[in-house]
Amino acid sequence: MTAIFGVAAGIAFLGALGVVVARRTLYSALALIVNMLALAVLFLLLDAQFLAAVQVIVYTGAVMVLFVFIIALLSPGAQERLNPLELRLIVGVCAALLFTVVVVRLTLNGITVTPSGHFHGTIGPFAPSLVDRHGQVEVLGEQLFTTFLLPFEVTSLLLLVAAVGAVHLARGHGRRASQ
Amino acid sequence: MNPHLFTGFIGLSVAMLSIGAVGVLVRRNPLVVFMSIELMLNAANLALVTYGRFTHTMDGQVFALVVIAVAASEVVVGLALITGVFRRGRRLDLDDLSELRE
Repeated sequence: MTAIFGVAAGIAFLGALGVVVARRTLYSALALIVNMLALAVLFLLLDAQFLAAVQVIVYTGAVMVLFVFIIALLSPGAQERLNPLELRLIVGVCAALLFTVVVVRLTLNGITVTPSGHFHGTIGPFAPSLVDRHGQVEVLGEQLFTTFLLPFEVTSLLLLVAAVGAVHLARGHGRRASQ
Repeated sequence: MNPHLFTGFIGLSVAMLSIGAVGVLVRRNPLVVFMSIELMLNAANLALVTYGRFTHTMDGQVFALVVIAVAASEVVVGLALITGVFRRGRRLDLDDLSELRE
């Protein structure tokens, strides 16, 4: 399991670097797809099978196809010269390294993990063995429609607003262009 | 599960968040900036699922699903805005699009 984590985490990290470093926009998008697929593997390692499937279908499937489509529509050949000695790049990288070290140190401060893989102290009822026995989707769906019903409904409202907003933005410009 | 993996998952999550933040601040192409934001949302998802797994709760996974829905709607609206900017004949460069500052 550690070996799989090492490989997937390395690929995810390189993909994340590729998004920022790549000179062509399309290469950034491809690096992001690699990163998301590696994240799906990591979700499988974390016993989140349903989320891994959603990650591949929604992110890698829908969102990134939309991204690649828009890139192909707008600026397929656009290149951006990223000077490695530019001041804001150096400052940004230093600040990111500092942020990473500080937050990881603070996160791990006082947390101990038992050999069987959970925190010391109070833990919830959904042990991975129990969830696997009942079925991942069943447990997650039951939680979604009972404990988290309000966030779920708000999410559907948000998706509706986003769809209406996108249609409005697209139509508004079309009307102005035709006048 | 090996306890050291918790450190690995959280470390990767924070590293991805930092890389995404650098991308948002340094790159000039709005599409790349959007992809960096997606990267940061993914990093948050990884942290949520990791904590959910190590506390034996479902909350992290449910919240990650909500984050995925938010990211999808954000991409739809954002890409519609970028397409609108492009259709008005503007160059896709965030340093050029600074009317709101003046």
